[in-house]
Amino acid sequence: MMEIRNPFADPLRFERRVPECAIVIFGAAGDLAKRKLLPALYRLAYDRRLPASFAIVGNSRTPMTDDEYRDRMREVVKQFSEDGDFDEDLWKRFAANLHYVAGDVKDPRLYQALKEKVTATGQAKILFYLSTQPSYYTVIVDGIGHSRLATAPEGEWRRLIVEKPFGHDLASARELNARIHAVFREEDTYRIDHYLGKETVQNILALRFGNGIFEPLWNRRYVNQVQITAAESIGVEGRGGYYQEAGALRDMIQNHLLQVMATVAMEPSAVFEPDAVRDERAKLLRSIKIMRPEEVDQYAVAGQYKGFRQEPGVNPDAQTDTYTAGTFFVDNWRWAGVPFFIRTGKKLPKRVTDIAIQFNQAPLALFGNAPGSGDGGQKARPNLLILRIQPEEGISLLFLSKEPGSGMRLRPVSMDFNYGTSFGERSPSAYETLLVDAMVGDPTLYTRQDMVEASWTVIQPILENWSNRRFDFPNYEAGTWGPADADAMIAKLGRQWRNS
Amino acid sequence: MSDEQALVSTATIQPERILHDLQQLWAQMAVDQADSGGVLRACAMTLVVAAEDESDADRAREIAGVLMHNHPSRAVILRPGAEAGKGADLDARIFAECWKPFGKAQQICSEGIEITAGRSGFSQVTKFLVPLRVPDLPVVLWCRGTAALEAGPLEPLFPLADKIIFDSAHVTDADSALQFLRRLRGRGFRVADLHWTRLTGWREVLAHLFDDQALDPGEVKSAQVTFGGPSVTTCARYFAAWIRTALPAARVTIASGGLGGGPPGLRSVSLSTGSDNLTIALGSDQCVEVSGAGRHYRSMLPSTSEEALMQEELGIVGPDPVYERALSA
Repeated sequence: MMEIRNPFADPLRFERRVPECAIVIFGAAGDLAKRKLLPALYRLAYDRRLPASFAIVGNSRTPMTDDEYRDRMREVVKQFSEDGDFDEDLWKRFAANLHYVAGDVKDPRLYQALKEKVTATGQAKILFYLSTQPSYYTVIVDGIGHSRLATAPEGEWRRLIVEKPFGHDLASARELNARIHAVFREEDTYRIDHYLGKETVQNILALRFGNGIFEPLWNRRYVNQVQITAAESIGVEGRGGYYQEAGALRDMIQNHLLQVMATVAMEPSAVFEPDAVRDERAKLLRSIKIMRPEEVDQYAVAGQYKGFRQEPGVNPDAQTDTYTAGTFFVDNWRWAGVPFFIRTGKKLPKRVTDIAIQFNQAPLALFGNAPGSGDGGQKARPNLLILRIQPEEGISLLFLSKEPGSGMRLRPVSMDFNYGTSFGERSPSAYETLLVDAMVGDPTLYTRQDMVEASWTVIQPILENWSNRRFDFPNYEAGTWGPADADAMIAKLGRQWRNS
Repeated sequence: MSDEQALVSTATIQPERILHDLQQLWAQMAVDQADSGGVLRACAMTLVVAAEDESDADRAREIAGVLMHNHPSRAVILRPGAEAGKGADLDARIFAECWKPFGKAQQICSEGIEITAGRSGFSQVTKFLVPLRVPDLPVVLWCRGTAALEAGPLEPLFPLADKIIFDSAHVTDADSALQFLRRLRGRGFRVADLHWTRLTGWREVLAHLFDDQALDPGEVKSAQVTFGGPSVTTCARYFAAWIRTALPAARVTIASGGLGGGPPGLRSVSLSTGSDNLTIALGSDQCVEVSGAGRHYRSMLPSTSEEALMQEELGIVGPDPVYERALSA
């Protein structure tokens, strides 16, 4: 349907209206729905972002009435809402729009029941949210298709949000995409990568393309290396069964971190429109050099923390990577030869996600021999631009400064921008942002099929190599920065990890 | 926590001394708070608040303190006073406003300067404000009170500001106030009016109806804006102008809701295509009621406290094309 421009729009003052619609959540009693989706939807209602008329229809196997589901979700929202904002009156209005249908996703009668429930709410636009185990994705999509729930009347829409993982390798990702496309068009398919919904990841685009000073330096002439770190201090926390099948490479690098890398390294799009931005991200992902089989040992390192195999639900002989480090190169004019080091792991010293862009050193060590100058390490310290994604969102620029006093001693200092202190207002959670985007039909922050396949293509050689070998796991202690091989990997290229 | 440090009154203000004392205040606070997470000095703009009179200055200071949480700034409160200090016509003191974000040890603090200016001292304020601005950050001037909407002693401050905020809520002559704002706009000043900001909730409800395609904008033939109170208000004028700019082909009228119909302000807005009508009417409990075009519901209006209105305005430091179009229409 042709979109009519709203002459009353005032984006500086208020957001575009989320259209009246129904959100059908499969896996509505699961962890994601409880911790993220329902609190995000409630918060949107709190912020008056939801329309007066909307419906949420939850599904899981547990038999429950609408009221029982509402009671349960009330506790969940109270427990997991950020900032402790809970308003009883608002909850009553919100809960009136909450509905529930119990049933097995493999049972065709479920879809009929869902159809009747959505019809009863009076909503004609439907957003389906797959928040179940990935193995049910195709079953549900088929069920939606066979029941004709996906068929929208003229002027209405049906959209599908799919949670990661989008397949477990390139072939299965293609298979999943084909099954989804049998029912939903690509433009109606929203593959969610919550990292892209984080304010600070979006701010990378603002930093790069909204300012004049960074972009001229953002290339191989000035950038020496880029390090992307996503460290968790916790272990698998009861998700051992899932995690041992996934591993860090699939769970973090294939999706979140390659998307972050694409955001850091992509070319500017001509316009800030969904497909223009996604085209540039996709182009970058396709430009990442694919490792040859013999290069995998040189450029990728797997690790597993001591104690992982003793976690509940984990095979005592598991070959799962709870830590992965990789070296990636981008084959384009901007980045040729600049290594992008990506690492992620569990049970590392602290929870931190950041991107460090290390610039080349000054061409001449002018102050190296000055009386009273610092030691060699200090005088050679390169500039770093650090984009902190969590937990202390912000941007820091490290540079050298003269220490007060006589002599010319240089010391690294940091110029910090802190998101929280410059903008006192609360940032919406990634799920709030992404849910609204899906409802208003803006896929800019969602992952497209070609992007998913490109990122699987990047890691496929590593997956194949690792599936054919036995690692000498465990190889790192909890509370350390990962296995020694990761240090060796980066040292071969004359670099070292910055241990944030 | 709110921290305050008074400066010794001087016959004339010495900006260098104020800035020096601010530095010392920060250094002292850093020492005092070193063991409990430290302090972070936050500043994203200079907010100059020109209070209407002495009693208004306390309220202005209170609001500025609230605003600092979302818009950390160096607040400069201009307090008019017949007698500023002992034998002085200008007087200044500095303060810091601190708060601790939930779950954090570190305090975030913004700084403020309160300048009391007697009648003759006020003319000198401009020259002192120049060095007291935070370099390279925007300056927002908030002129409180109705008198500010006439040419007067605040005019010399206008060129210092990137944005000047007024409030026409209580003016008796809406057209003169709008003329004044248009003249300033014509001279290149970026102006804002909190009485326009009060319309955001109403405008959002109307805009959302068009997001939902309740009516085809091309088919709206007429619109009527009804106001309460004895005479037409700037908000009625603004709303009508906004509709006119959005729907140039529609006939837009302004009608009085009668004297007995509650306080001044917007009462209702109706749009008609000839075959379909849509009305947004002021209801009870800070709600509006939407009816027509197959809809009937209530929508809560956002808070219109001065704090909330200023939060919204401080979020827009650059051009505000929708307001500027409505002001010019």
